[in-house]
Amino acid sequence: MVLVYRLPRTPSTPRITLWRKLRRLGVAQIVDGVVALPAGLDTREQLEWLADEVVQAGGEATIWLADPAAAAQHRALVQAMTERIEAEYRQITAEAQSACVSPIVERRRTLARLRRELRRVGARQHFPTKQAQAARDAVEALADAVAQEQAA
Amino acid sequence: MIWATRRHVHIDRTACAWLLRRFVDSRAEFVFVDDPDELPAEATPFDMRGVELGHREGRCSFESILVHYQLHDPALVRISRVVHEADIGDERYDAPEAPGLDALIRGLARDARDDIHLVALTGPLYDALYTLWSHES
Repeated sequence: MVLVYRLPRTPSTPRITLWRKLRRLGVAQIVDGVVALPAGLDTREQLEWLADEVVQAGGEATIWLADPAAAAQHRALVQAMTERIEAEYRQITAEAQSACVSPIVERRRTLARLRRELRRVGARQHFPTKQAQAARDAVEALADAVAQEQAA
Repeated sequence: MIWATRRHVHIDRTACAWLLRRFVDSRAEFVFVDDPDELPAEATPFDMRGVELGHREGRCSFESILVHYQLHDPALVRISRVVHEADIGDERYDAPEAPGLDALIRGLARDARDDIHLVALTGPLYDALYTLWSHES
């Protein structure tokens, strides 16, 4: 599913707001003003609301159900989306592991932040990746470390 | 009155249907359409693109209904924050109930025969939140 949009250059606020929302949905950017998401009822609804916002902000937006002409194109798009998400999960894993040796107050704060971050990344993940479970395991290991500290 | 929205309802539309029937129109009837072109002429649309009772200025449709019908009940406002976060998830509000409500409705949707049935099944969830927060606020 593809959203094609054009927003006026100024004011810049609607552009920034839209970009933030597109990022939260985990879209793949094909070129400037053309983004893609896997087709589904949820993703379609989210793109439709964003298309409305573009129109309300004085721009133009249309949504298309699209098939890439070549399978390789589709693979490249999925791979780019997956790599970006995997990098985010790896970051969470690394932070959770290094937090295991930080002071307890900081450890607890990091745990809360990483759990929020896991939810956010999960919301924009559209394809399965082993990095997701690795990150969840690392955050749970951090939670165990916090719980042991508190029990001690 | 007849109220119309898109088929395959989830959190915002089940919440809107509950809100409309309980606080706006006790005899509300609902129709569900695939395409805006199928809207019956006499129906009032909600949670559809470009309509007043839809997403507006960062609000979800439930919030737009509260604004339009000037419903200021604090318990409804609190429910609207949960619906907003479950639907849009932009962290505008602190609504820890949102992922839980989302999971419950996804589960009920598996058992529901159709949209009317899902609206009936989910009503008690919103009733429960309303009862709880009417007594707390």
